[in-house]
Amino acid sequence: MPKTEIVLFQLLIDGTLYGMMYGLAAIGLSLIFGTMKIVFVAQGTIMVFFAYLCYWLFNLAGLDPYVCLALLIPLSFGMGVGLYLGVFKESALQYDRIGSLLLAVGIMFFMENFMLVMWTPNPRSVVTKYAFHVLEVSGIKLTLVRAVSLLIGFLSIVAINFFLRKTITGIAVRAASEDMETTALMGIKPHKVNLTSFAVGISAAAVAGVNLAVTYSFDPMYGLDLSIKGLIALTLGGMETAYGAFFGGILLGLIETVSAYFIGLGWAQGVCFGVYLLVLLIRPHGIFGKKGRIA
Amino acid sequence: MKAFGLTKFVLLCLGLLTIVPLVVNVDDSFFAYYLYVSFCYITLSQGWNIGSAYTGQVSMASHLFFAIGAYTTGLLWVYDVTKSWYYFDPLVMILSGTVAAVAAMLLGIPLLYRLKGDFFAFGTLAAAEIIKTIIRRWASFTGGARGFRLPGEGFASMLPHYLVALLTAFISTLIALIILKSRVGLILRALSEDELSASVRGINTLLFKVIAFGIGAFLIGIGGSLFAYYIFVISPMTVMNLNWMFIPILVCILGGKGTVEGPVVGSFVVGAIYTYIEIFVGPIHPMVSGALLILIMKTMPEGLIGVITKKM
Repeated sequence: MPKTEIVLFQLLIDGTLYGMMYGLAAIGLSLIFGTMKIVFVAQGTIMVFFAYLCYWLFNLAGLDPYVCLALLIPLSFGMGVGLYLGVFKESALQYDRIGSLLLAVGIMFFMENFMLVMWTPNPRSVVTKYAFHVLEVSGIKLTLVRAVSLLIGFLSIVAINFFLRKTITGIAVRAASEDMETTALMGIKPHKVNLTSFAVGISAAAVAGVNLAVTYSFDPMYGLDLSIKGLIALTLGGMETAYGAFFGGILLGLIETVSAYFIGLGWAQGVCFGVYLLVLLIRPHGIFGKKGRIA
Repeated sequence: MKAFGLTKFVLLCLGLLTIVPLVVNVDDSFFAYYLYVSFCYITLSQGWNIGSAYTGQVSMASHLFFAIGAYTTGLLWVYDVTKSWYYFDPLVMILSGTVAAVAAMLLGIPLLYRLKGDFFAFGTLAAAEIIKTIIRRWASFTGGARGFRLPGEGFASMLPHYLVALLTAFISTLIALIILKSRVGLILRALSEDELSASVRGINTLLFKVIAFGIGAFLIGIGGSLFAYYIFVISPMTVMNLNWMFIPILVCILGGKGTVEGPVVGSFVVGAIYTYIEIFVGPIHPMVSGALLILIMKTMPEGLIGVITKKM
């Protein structure tokens, strides 16, 4: 293959992988936002927290990161249940938007500094034995962990989508994010729906955290950036569907990677937000969003 | 009437704080530093209150206007534009606020015209991040990511900081009061209640939202100018930190948003969290702040002022 095309493909893959992280953050956020209207800025911090847990299990117990995933998903589900019952229960039922935003900020402050104390501010990453194993297809290089991360990312999207479309609870979650009042009139307990979507959202953060741990380096303060990108991805894609949020994330990652290569690393952030703003001014409800729904 | 009495009381208390420099030595009193920080927060959060809480349009670009204020002050001084004495020059401070207000209006017209609710909030955040990138990259003019220093080596006393911060806090609270009691305030509150029915009554909603956004940015810009004189190093790290976006929101919600006295009460609490807890707990203080925040929001969701007015 010619060299320029290889570079382009490489950028495409890197961008997709980078965007995957935003997409996973956005999916968790869309579940939490959809039903409870909580702007959950702690999502990225929770992702980093799970990345640290993965790092810990890997270094102390010698567990493979992908085995950790099987451990961390139930743990994150439990954590989501705990967080919802302990912190967000009242404000979620009252749709207290700004109050719940501040609760999320409180959680973010707490966890960031908890991690600073536990794991110091130095960037960490999980380096497995197979971390530098490279797959090469006609000149395009992809490390094994990145390929697996891509796979896990796509699988979790499919799983969440399956949950939302095919299970009764998932359908209730979708109904509640359309109109909570009517859903409650149909005999669905708002509490149960909120609890489920919160827990599934946090589980998405755990999956994203393990992906983050094996592919990039992370530090405790990285979370806010991830949350903001996730929220931007969510509004970029539109808040209706899980797919919208995910593609918003991938698009954001692609824009960032491509502009970092062609324009310069320092401009990537600006270009990324610029495109976002432009899209929003043309389509105020996001790319896949429907008009008439006030978020 | 009760609420109005409370506002008068709060303004009176602010006025009484001018006595503090007579009682304690402001230069080496930590209490005075705490008050100074609180005054800065009052200016900022009154600005956010007018721009966002009155109209119901949550702006997440406070750090942008703060930075514009600080950069304007710094650049005017460094490039010697106005040929005045610069240090706490009212002309420079008002210019800083005006530049921030103009920026807010230019930004607000397209954003407020097209976007609502969360889309507006993230739109403002995105705009702020774009301008942050420009400030970082335009190194020949703004000093880039490292920023620049103000030529302020000779100014060591804390007293002017204290007095000017108190004055701006007082004036911004007064502006908030005047706006809330005026016809404009009535319109803004109508907008936050129900925008559609307000526009049906013949109110130009976009105009008033942009005006409120501009006035809010003016106060935030003056807050940025105030902080520039204290920090003396103007860089994206110091003045365009996301903290400057969170603090006004935090203060307003904690104190009680949409009220005049809420931000004042909230500022003293948040100021205490940011200054005293750091002393008592050490560098992990945001952990305590976070826990405290969750606790306060769990126990009094209407904010402190809601609790006070309920008791009265």
